[in-house]
Amino acid sequence: MIRAAIDTTALLKMVYSSLLASVVVAVVFSTALLGAIRASDMRRAGRGITATAYAVLAAVGVLIASGVIVYGLVLIARKS
Amino acid sequence: MSGDILLVIVVGTALAFDFTNGFHDTANVVATSISTRAIGPKQAVAFASLLNFIGAFISLKVATTIAKGFVDTSAVTTTVVFCGLVGAIAWNVITWYFGLPSSSSHALIGGLVGSVVAASGWSAVNGGGILDNLIVPAIIAPIIAFVAAGGSILLVYRIVGRLRPGPVSRGFRLGELASGGLLALSHGTNDAQKTMGVITLALIANGNISGSSFHVPDWVVVTSATAISLGTFTGGWRIIKTLGTRIISMDPAQGFAAQGAGAAVILAASSVGYPLSTTHVISGGIMGAGAAKRFSAVRWGVAGNIVTAWIMTLPAAALLGGMVYGVTTLFGNGVAGPIVVTIVLLAGLAATFARRLQHAQPAPTTP
Repeated sequence: MIRAAIDTTALLKMVYSSLLASVVVAVVFSTALLGAIRASDMRRAGRGITATAYAVLAAVGVLIASGVIVYGLVLIARKS
Repeated sequence: MSGDILLVIVVGTALAFDFTNGFHDTANVVATSISTRAIGPKQAVAFASLLNFIGAFISLKVATTIAKGFVDTSAVTTTVVFCGLVGAIAWNVITWYFGLPSSSSHALIGGLVGSVVAASGWSAVNGGGILDNLIVPAIIAPIIAFVAAGGSILLVYRIVGRLRPGPVSRGFRLGELASGGLLALSHGTNDAQKTMGVITLALIANGNISGSSFHVPDWVVVTSATAISLGTFTGGWRIIKTLGTRIISMDPAQGFAAQGAGAAVILAASSVGYPLSTTHVISGGIMGAGAAKRFSAVRWGVAGNIVTAWIMTLPAAALLGGMVYGVTTLFGNGVAGPIVVTIVLLAGLAATFARRLQHAQPAPTTP
């Protein structure tokens, strides 16, 4: 009876989407940070190509994290 | 005519509740950023206030749940809505006075349910709706925030653990601006809608809107967004201190993980129409981020006090809502009761604020 009163689909949707979004954004942002810090270290060490590769990693990380956030907000706004 | 006067009183009271909601919940939104020194207190509060306002326009699903999910709309009168609101405001002010981060949302629903029960009995309460839309999400959401923040911080430490701590902290402070902004946005999305739902319920009860063609008028959205935003701007330093420093001492990475998890849970809940408590969720996130690093870092005693306040909120606000209904109807079914209760409420609020100001602590500053 209790199970019948609960909309498990909505509940599960809340659980997996929030878990996925928070973990993905945290991991991607940390990776971007790793890229930015390593790029700065490599540039100082005179390793230009490696520095550029890390800088690209940082930029891609920031773009993906921002993209996930914007996509989530658009999805919520569109559904209501 | 008296119905319209009563409606004006109810709308004013609902907006006052919305203001206290923003005031009460400022801490949830900005405490983490302030305690990790990602942003100064005044800037954090102004930033949160702006994003609260914008967030209120994102979705209306929670407003629909509030208006239709908990009580039988045919049993709701404008007096019932008024008494529920007064019960919720009274509970919010009591918990604010004692520095307890209880839930404004549960206070609102508790007050409304108590008032409806006093007016029409238990049969007018939608028990299944309360279980489905309130109790189950209220239990699950902080646990998800706990797990998400804990899992995130473990992965974050694995990724950035071998880097120099200075740049890492600076990076996460920057990240906290984004995660804190998202949290403020999600707070506006979920909490402002509760007031929109209550005002819409009063409009249905007064016959301004048909119950069968439910919609939230634009002016309700704009005024609710403004009230919660102003409340947030005014702030509540006492609760900020409890959430920001007394549960755990955080580093910027933990703050980022806690805020990110909190925002994700609240936004996901808003998209399916659950009226969550932002206080519950962000506290779960903070505890998760702390416990993942070191279980004993969380001051579980303080966390226990917060949980006690959560559990008490629904029945206490319901009791207050029911009592207010009893007092209001002593003066008949017209506007006399709500006017008398409003005067008493305003006098009580003025006395409480005056007393608090006498013992007020100065706003925290970042070095």
